[in-house]
Amino acid sequence: MRVTDTYKYGSWSLVLFTLTAPWVLPLLVDSFWVDIYSEILIWSLLAASVNLLLGYVGLLSFGQALFFGFGMYGVAIGVVKFDLGFWSAFIFGISLATAMAAIAGSLAVRLTWHYFAIITVVFSLIFYFTALSWKPITGGDDGLPFTIPPIISFGEYKLTMTNANFQYFFIVTIVGACYWLMYRVINSPLGRAFVTVRENDARAALIGLNVYLIRLTAFIFAGFIAGVAGALFALFGRYASASYMFYHVSGEAVVWAIIGGVGTLFGPIVGTGLMIVLREELSSVWDHYLLLVGVAVILTVIFAPRGIGGAFKVLAEKIARQQFSRKESGP
Amino acid sequence: MDLVFALALNGIVWGLIIALIALGLSIIFGLLDIINIAHGDFFMVGTVLAWTVLQTTGNYWLAFLLVPIIGFGLGLLINHAVIQPIKNAAALSIVATFGLSIILQESVRATYGAAPNRLVAPIQETLLLFGIQYEVYRIFAAAIAIFAICLFFGFLHKTKLGTWMRAVRFDPEIATAMGIPAHRIYMVTFGIGFAMAALGGVVAAPITTVDFQGGIDILPFCFMAVIIGGLGNLEGTVAAAVLLAFVEGIITSFTDPTIARIGSLIFMSAVLIVRPHGIFVGATR
Repeated sequence: MRVTDTYKYGSWSLVLFTLTAPWVLPLLVDSFWVDIYSEILIWSLLAASVNLLLGYVGLLSFGQALFFGFGMYGVAIGVVKFDLGFWSAFIFGISLATAMAAIAGSLAVRLTWHYFAIITVVFSLIFYFTALSWKPITGGDDGLPFTIPPIISFGEYKLTMTNANFQYFFIVTIVGACYWLMYRVINSPLGRAFVTVRENDARAALIGLNVYLIRLTAFIFAGFIAGVAGALFALFGRYASASYMFYHVSGEAVVWAIIGGVGTLFGPIVGTGLMIVLREELSSVWDHYLLLVGVAVILTVIFAPRGIGGAFKVLAEKIARQQFSRKESGP
Repeated sequence: MDLVFALALNGIVWGLIIALIALGLSIIFGLLDIINIAHGDFFMVGTVLAWTVLQTTGNYWLAFLLVPIIGFGLGLLINHAVIQPIKNAAALSIVATFGLSIILQESVRATYGAAPNRLVAPIQETLLLFGIQYEVYRIFAAAIAIFAICLFFGFLHKTKLGTWMRAVRFDPEIATAMGIPAHRIYMVTFGIGFAMAALGGVVAAPITTVDFQGGIDILPFCFMAVIIGGLGNLEGTVAAAVLLAFVEGIITSFTDPTIARIGSLIFMSAVLIVRPHGIFVGATR
């Protein structure tokens, strides 16, 4: 089997599984795994936003939860305070997150590495504390629950997220659209520019690229993706809470991205899926399963800093090289 | 007015303790180039160890001696197991120390338990100070913190090991070429960093609560002190810690403490963007 084939079969089986999951998962394990799978898809977007920055422009953000939180609160506040409909609340949340990313990014991308990581944490902490203390708007510690407005209503008949299958496919569609968008951006000239900046920002500047603008674009795009994740999670959980803006949430997303493999499009899904399944399976058996998570993180950083996706890539390339040389030496 | 005074005094005491902890964070950054997300948990481990010493021996004073030594040992261990292997991937040090932070919190939760405990201060007396009854223990805590900070600076400037540490920080390659065992210096630095955070834990344990999540609040504060003072600028770190805690103390006396915290964070971001090497840069050189 050629490498491109493995990729192709891998992604097609992922797509097939995703499309049939609401029927297959209840047969195989339990119907609550459909919800877990939706959750994995949503959280993988947050990990993907970390991956966009770390894997493609070389900036480690420890504050992506900020934009997740803005997407989340945008939806909840839109529904509760402004009485918005489904789509307008959804778009409101995403725009809020994207706008915040533009503001935070214009300041943050002036810095790199350690300083960038710290300032992204600081920004997310500022709004975390604000959300905690601004109780009339955000609900503080208790969060802000809401009832979901219908998506489309034909007189009596309404399509809402309360229909499990509809909710699942709504999430799949949005998440799928986000990955398609990321795929298009990464393979566009802009994506090439991202990678150039990651590899060497001084040379990128010398060949005429505007490094600041490229980093800012990536930051806003990543903020947008995190915002979509937050807005989806608000609709999925029917509430928004300040605790999702804490730096531990950002840290978890970084962990998922790194374990899955930064710099690969589907790495974040693999990492997020693995870690959430581990959590669901282990947390009921062993109360202190987090110890394992910590150990896994450290081992990944030490032995496989490119994660599962990176290890797979290396392995695939090795096989390809062997096949290639066998062909060369063949009759 | 009395309240403002008490809170300002509390702020200075707390700032000195934070300075002690943040110094550890600062030397680890300055020498090893590692952003230590687990540093707050080093402090938390210190409070838990202090509680354990009090439970087993019944003598709190012993903790002041024992806990930093245990902390130093734990620091050496962690340095060997986690920090040295990732030295070549400094970029991912934040992620590795995040994992370390999870491990420390979870192991404390598994052994010590999830319920927070309050410690009775070893000194119960209060003192009439400018018209308010002030706890003597807090003054004692500040004194210990000052003593430890002075001891650290004395060590850094007056001993051979301290000079070596400064040399390795200045230029690791030339230091190694001059025959300084840089590898061992890294080890000792990390040990001292942990020991200082742990001592901070012992000093602070009777003032705050002993809890496996106790480090989470401390960490941002330490980072603020280190950043505002200037990454790697040790004197700046101490000054910034005391200044921040003092100002937060005063602001807290007339508004919500969270607002004081938000204010400091905004100040910190401004410092990062405008003067990324700290507000005291130029004052020391």
